[in-house]
Amino acid sequence: MIEFDKLGIVIKREYLTRIKSKAYILTTLLAPLILIMFILLIALIPMLSPETTRVVAIIDTTNSVSHRMVDADPNQYRIFPNATVNDVRRMINDGVIQGYIVITEEVIEGTVNPELIYGGSGGLNFIQKVQRDLRNSIREEKLDRSNVSADVRQIMRENVNLVTRVLTDTGEEEQDTSALMVVGLILGFVIYGAMFAYGGIVMRGVIEEKSNRIIEVIVSSVRPFELLLGKVFGVGALAVTQFVFWIAAGSAITAASTPILLFFMKQPPDATAAMGEADLPFTIPTIGTELIVFFLIFFILGYLMYSAMFAAVGSALESETENQQLMLVVSLPIIIPIFFLGTVAADPDSSLSLVLSLIPFFAPIIMPVRMAIMNVPMWEVALAIGLMIAAFLGLMWLSARIYRVGILMYGKSASFSELSKWIRYN
Amino acid sequence: MSIIKVEHVLKQFGSFTAVKDVSFEVTKGRIFGILGPNGAGKTTTIRMINYITIPDSGQVLINGMQADSNSQKKIGYLPEERGLYKKMKVGEQLLYLARLKGMSPIDAKKSLKYWLDRFEATDWVKKELGELSKGQQQKIQFISTIAHDPEICIFDEPFSGLDPINSELLKDVIIELNKNGKTILFATHRMEQVEQMCDDICLFSKGTVILNGALSDIKRSFGKNTVKIEFQGDASFLEELQNVRINNRSSNFAEIRLLDGADEQEILKKAISQVKVMHFEFVQPSLNEIFISTVNSHTNKEKLTTEVS
Repeated sequence: MIEFDKLGIVIKREYLTRIKSKAYILTTLLAPLILIMFILLIALIPMLSPETTRVVAIIDTTNSVSHRMVDADPNQYRIFPNATVNDVRRMINDGVIQGYIVITEEVIEGTVNPELIYGGSGGLNFIQKVQRDLRNSIREEKLDRSNVSADVRQIMRENVNLVTRVLTDTGEEEQDTSALMVVGLILGFVIYGAMFAYGGIVMRGVIEEKSNRIIEVIVSSVRPFELLLGKVFGVGALAVTQFVFWIAAGSAITAASTPILLFFMKQPPDATAAMGEADLPFTIPTIGTELIVFFLIFFILGYLMYSAMFAAVGSALESETENQQLMLVVSLPIIIPIFFLGTVAADPDSSLSLVLSLIPFFAPIIMPVRMAIMNVPMWEVALAIGLMIAAFLGLMWLSARIYRVGILMYGKSASFSELSKWIRYN
Repeated sequence: MSIIKVEHVLKQFGSFTAVKDVSFEVTKGRIFGILGPNGAGKTTTIRMINYITIPDSGQVLINGMQADSNSQKKIGYLPEERGLYKKMKVGEQLLYLARLKGMSPIDAKKSLKYWLDRFEATDWVKKELGELSKGQQQKIQFISTIAHDPEICIFDEPFSGLDPINSELLKDVIIELNKNGKTILFATHRMEQVEQMCDDICLFSKGTVILNGALSDIKRSFGKNTVKIEFQGDASFLEELQNVRINNRSSNFAEIRLLDGADEQEILKKAISQVKVMHFEFVQPSLNEIFISTVNSHTNKEKLTTEVS
């Protein structure tokens, strides 16, 4: 039925004309550069914005806490002996200092809340720091007053850090799930964006051929179905090329990024000792090959389903700006899973997550998110893939029936009822 | 031998019937004109011959075989609405289209070289189509239609948008193709071209064929019933004539079709009495006249039958 030599010629054209386009080359090359910039930014922003020291005057009527505050951060806290509240208020207005706290016996006892009066600038970080320092200082003072033993003090100072690891089937422990969640969300968004972008390319290709009127020449040589299939596969090959390049570049960049980041982060004065990866403020998650392979599979299947739908819509249009309503309806199934991304990432094992990840329209986005975060049972993955293949075949059949009529229809913008009529044409 | 045989073809789009019970045959090596007003079903029929669409019933035979993707390779089709890829290089584009018609890359390049030279278009090969002028694009489009050396060439309004020089070039090429044994199918409403070039015609109206046969036979069957008159003076005498229809009228010329026993001698007498007659001729009707009167009488008949029923 299908003539494969013609299909091959169409695929080749769809692929080659686009891969040579400047826009394609540019986005392919720029995306990894943007990734590098992004990583550098994450690393550099905290360093590039050194905290401007805001001086806070401590007026301590008990003279017991103020020196502890100064010890905590001599740059930030200062005691002005003899200064009255009115004096420091004037100093804030003059910009000499940025704030003041009055500490009384009642504050130490906890019957009165301490107040930070400040100039209004500094934001949350500043306030949290003052709060933290004040809390520690008052606690130390109270511990001193109660003659608490050194052991107990040690206990009080202890900080418990929760480290999480995932136990896999093979009995190994794996990395931190919060990083995995980020990976999952990124994968979800990438697939979302890519399905839209590449589905859009297919649609624009269909519209271009129709509005150029070349379509009638082409279908006098090729069956419409062969042309449609060639277009979907050709653009799909384009997408795979881009992703393979990005994955290769991305893994090279992440492999190189730890040393790069450490190089940039050597500035902190206490970082004299040799630093390892553990010293980074965040972990760069390593993404397994298996996940990458499944990511590609889900993307490809999702792309195939959506490009079939976009092509059908494109065949009914004569220009891109026409009939946004038709566009919206086919875009909706891609957009819906985005609303569930957070829920799924937070609880990938729930039955809602499971159901969403099996529905063919949502699976390309939801399943990779789940797979990034948890170990999804193989049967679920296989079922999702099977359902998507079935959905693709069904959509392709419908789309081809709409397409073969739509490409030759001019002069009227088609509604949904029109499209469903086309399906029934001979 | 009929190279194209259209048999009782029906094509509907929803409730709209585009063509109904259309049958005609095209003899190999002839130039065949498909005529008819807009919306008469010409394009739909041509698309079925091209296997772009498939008839709901009836069949299209090419060389005695059902039209299919094999017969597509034997046909070159120039649609009425021209179009190529605007952003694709001319050479790549022509090669792509020739390859889709089943040519090997080597044969395709050889043939394209010949035609590009013939149309003095070789310099454009590296340009994007969008950089060419309208007329240049038309030439490229024409080359794309015939590069695969098709047995059957189907041209839908081939001369529209061409300047006189390129029209002449195209006409020469079409006649040359025909001399080399190609069958030419023309769809047009430019009657003078049909009269000059076509051997056979087939006239469409409202989705059916209302007239079909060799052009010379058709003209003969209409008999001598037309007066061509050239004159000087007040043309108002034309108004007074009865049982005639006047075509192609200008201030000093008229083509007068005689209806229901009107007498050419009476017209001549009347003319002489009122104007200075420069030229008077009693002739076969022009194809234009045949076209208009046949389509009109068909439409009227149809109106009558619908009124009766």
